[in-house]
Amino acid sequence: MTAFSRPAAEGDAILGVLPGTVFEPSTVEEAVEVVGESGRGGKALAFVGGGTDLELGAPPRRLDAVVRTSRLSRIVEHAPFDQIVVVEAGMTLEALQAALVSHRQRLALDPPLPGRKTIGGIIAANAYGPRRARFGSVRDLIIGISFVRADGTLARGGGKVVKNVAGFDLPKLMVGSLGTLGLITTATFRLHPLPEEEVTLRLPGRTAAGVRSLMRAVKEAQLEPTSVVAAWRQADQFDVAVRFEGFHAGVAEQRERLAGLVRKEPEGACEVLDEETARAFWSRHDELRAAPPLRAKLTALPTHIEAIARDVLPGMLAALADPGFLWYASLGLGFLAGSPANTDSAAAAILAARERVAGLGGTLTLQAAPAAIRERVDVWGPPPPSLPLIQSVKDRLDPQARFSPGRFVGGI
Amino acid sequence: MSGAVSPAAAPPPDAVLPDVAALMAAVVGERHCITDPSELRTYECDGLMSFRVAPGLVVLPGSTEEVAEIVRIARAANLPIVPRGSGTGLSGGALPVPGCVVIGLSRMKRILEVDLENGWMRVQPGVANLDVSKAIGSAGYYYAPDPSSQSVCSIGGNIAENSGGAHCLKYGFTSNHVLGARLVLADGSIVDLGGPAPDTPGYDLLGVLVGSEGMVGIVTEVVLRVLRKPQATRTFFATFPSTDEAGNAVSAIIASGIVPAAIEMMDRLAIVAAKAATGLDWPDVGAALLMDADGPEAEVEYTSNNAVELARAAGALEIRRPKDENERQLMWKGRKSAFAAVGRISPNYFVQDGVIPRSMIARVLREIDELARNAGLRVANVFHAGDGNLHPLILYDAKIPGQEAAAEDVGGKILKMCVRYGGSITGEHGVGADKAVYMSDMFSEADLETMALVRCAFDPETRLNPGKVFPTPRLCGDRPGPYRPHPAELSGEAWRE
Repeated sequence: MTAFSRPAAEGDAILGVLPGTVFEPSTVEEAVEVVGESGRGGKALAFVGGGTDLELGAPPRRLDAVVRTSRLSRIVEHAPFDQIVVVEAGMTLEALQAALVSHRQRLALDPPLPGRKTIGGIIAANAYGPRRARFGSVRDLIIGISFVRADGTLARGGGKVVKNVAGFDLPKLMVGSLGTLGLITTATFRLHPLPEEEVTLRLPGRTAAGVRSLMRAVKEAQLEPTSVVAAWRQADQFDVAVRFEGFHAGVAEQRERLAGLVRKEPEGACEVLDEETARAFWSRHDELRAAPPLRAKLTALPTHIEAIARDVLPGMLAALADPGFLWYASLGLGFLAGSPANTDSAAAAILAARERVAGLGGTLTLQAAPAAIRERVDVWGPPPPSLPLIQSVKDRLDPQARFSPGRFVGGI
Repeated sequence: MSGAVSPAAAPPPDAVLPDVAALMAAVVGERHCITDPSELRTYECDGLMSFRVAPGLVVLPGSTEEVAEIVRIARAANLPIVPRGSGTGLSGGALPVPGCVVIGLSRMKRILEVDLENGWMRVQPGVANLDVSKAIGSAGYYYAPDPSSQSVCSIGGNIAENSGGAHCLKYGFTSNHVLGARLVLADGSIVDLGGPAPDTPGYDLLGVLVGSEGMVGIVTEVVLRVLRKPQATRTFFATFPSTDEAGNAVSAIIASGIVPAAIEMMDRLAIVAAKAATGLDWPDVGAALLMDADGPEAEVEYTSNNAVELARAAGALEIRRPKDENERQLMWKGRKSAFAAVGRISPNYFVQDGVIPRSMIARVLREIDELARNAGLRVANVFHAGDGNLHPLILYDAKIPGQEAAAEDVGGKILKMCVRYGGSITGEHGVGADKAVYMSDMFSEADLETMALVRCAFDPETRLNPGKVFPTPRLCGDRPGPYRPHPAELSGEAWRE
């Protein structure tokens, strides 16, 4: 085991907790060995892919070693005609997409930082981007998984075909489990064809009510955008980006139809972005979702944008320096980000926002936060009513609680 | 490994049933508690009629609270529980076990809440799949999963089986369209998973629930995702000399970047049967494809035309496009009737359900044909070609000695073949009681044990729907963990081998 281990360094800490050892297995067999061996000593492990989502959750209560998956970075199988790929957990999304592009295919997931984010990390953190509007999230694209259980057993669920209902859906169970159920070693995904063309339209200066009416109009017109993101600009004003993808004929027709709809509004404005401007918009989006020291995720319903703009945004935005807010308008998902100007007022604003969002039937979780904020605010918020079941699943699969103990919902 | 495998509990003595029935009748009312042996016979099996077991009693509760109370009573009497929807399942997923309480959800069929602007609705589990779409159809919305039995099968049953349908190629299965569920657990407690808002913190237990074949809880309310209808749908029917060319056409269409809404294949025998049943003027050919493209009009026009060209290039003999919605419905009726229609060309038949990588279709169909021929039988194929989900219909005559067994044997060999080609033993019918024995062909002991651990997390007494999915009866036993030596071992008084 020493062949692929080293003493931990500063950069290996997770939320300030430094492990003693770092393991870097380069085969699934080695990964099984690491987990199995460490289990005999009851050692606490955490799993790290690209390290982009280490701020998710609470600091681990115990951490003896970190297992890095970066050397598990191969494509095990790509069947272009069947549009599936089996890939090791440590491969980055960007590397995977690069390998698929020659077959004009892609994994239809677009979280920020694809150059660093690994497949295993994307599954564990349930990472996604604006294309979720059309293609769903990890749970809708993953069709198979293998992972190492806490007792060192390598287990597999799902399969290599998209349509398959044999056995319990272990792939979905692993999505968003943040490394608390097992070390993901490989995953299988369904792929989508690369679109022939894509276009982004910018609808500047819409109010929250205007965002909502836009979504109604898009549905009414039976348009099928692959992303709709409203980016907060100032006061009650959002710039909305709508992206269409597909064959040229369909993209062009949908682009024209949307532009026509918007121009019929009293003050409706709409511009078709050239490639460079569109790319700039989406990279600003990515940056806002990945960089600021405080990042909160809000979940609600698409129509709640008005209540959120009225009751949640003013307080939150006032408590942050360089604030930003992105709203996935068809999904009811919001991302608030910035630098807390003052710890107390930022913490108070988060708690107030959380309460309001809960009143809408949604949740507010912190995806990143400075330690001082974490001392005042539980990053997860109140646990869901299914917490006893969640605990029960954890107890069955990791009875000694040695996989990232304390990091997950409800202190699991 | 920690095992946790031991024989299932024996059925309870019949003596307890009358007492239990009285308690349950007090909860749901006399007429919703069925104990009469002749009435119980209705519940002996589901759509898989070759397996029959009489339940101890059948209870038809009318609310979540009643379900919870029935579960508590059953638990106190240590009775197994088998949940049941409309009983249309084809894998024996609702097959009773001796002495069990069947909880039928057929009375719970109200639509509770509709929010089209946010794209969801809340329904009770007994609502028929098609009734969901009917309720919102006039507003221009629909529920995407469309199993062939959709006019009768229930949403609760769809959740248990993770039902698909022809259009899941583009739109996904039940699991992609269930946003939340209220669940009565095996201890009688009630819990909500998910809801209309996305990304509830915690594990994706809803993902575990869908497709768990009634083993993790009884669903009493469901939040479904509903979709705006696509602007346009284009359909075409193409005939081919054989399944080889039809299979190549499917591959070419998919490889071109087109994502059809559905692409269905029928072979010669299936076409003959469908014609006999519906009177459609389909030609006698070796194979036919039926494809739907849907979405924004311009996109659909383009993809549909392209697909037709690709079908021609792959060797299509004739392309037919419906001239109106009526004709389109007729074409689909032909496809959907093919299953039952096989009854017109054979006295008996088995429906098989397996999945292969779609690029293997032509090859696997030839292999299936050979298997059947060697057994002196015929197989009709009508299936979801786009996702490689085969439905071989194995024709036999039960009056001829040995044919039924031979047909069963062919069915089993087909499933093993699916696994050998990297596919699955079931694409939509579920494992149930029927295919539990084949799970070991697809999964290792460690895989199955992991699934059993998840089941035990929900139902540590394995009270819910016992005898399904897992090839060996399992009890949950102690919580597993790394091997810890017994003190007697340490002292040398005992040892293990």
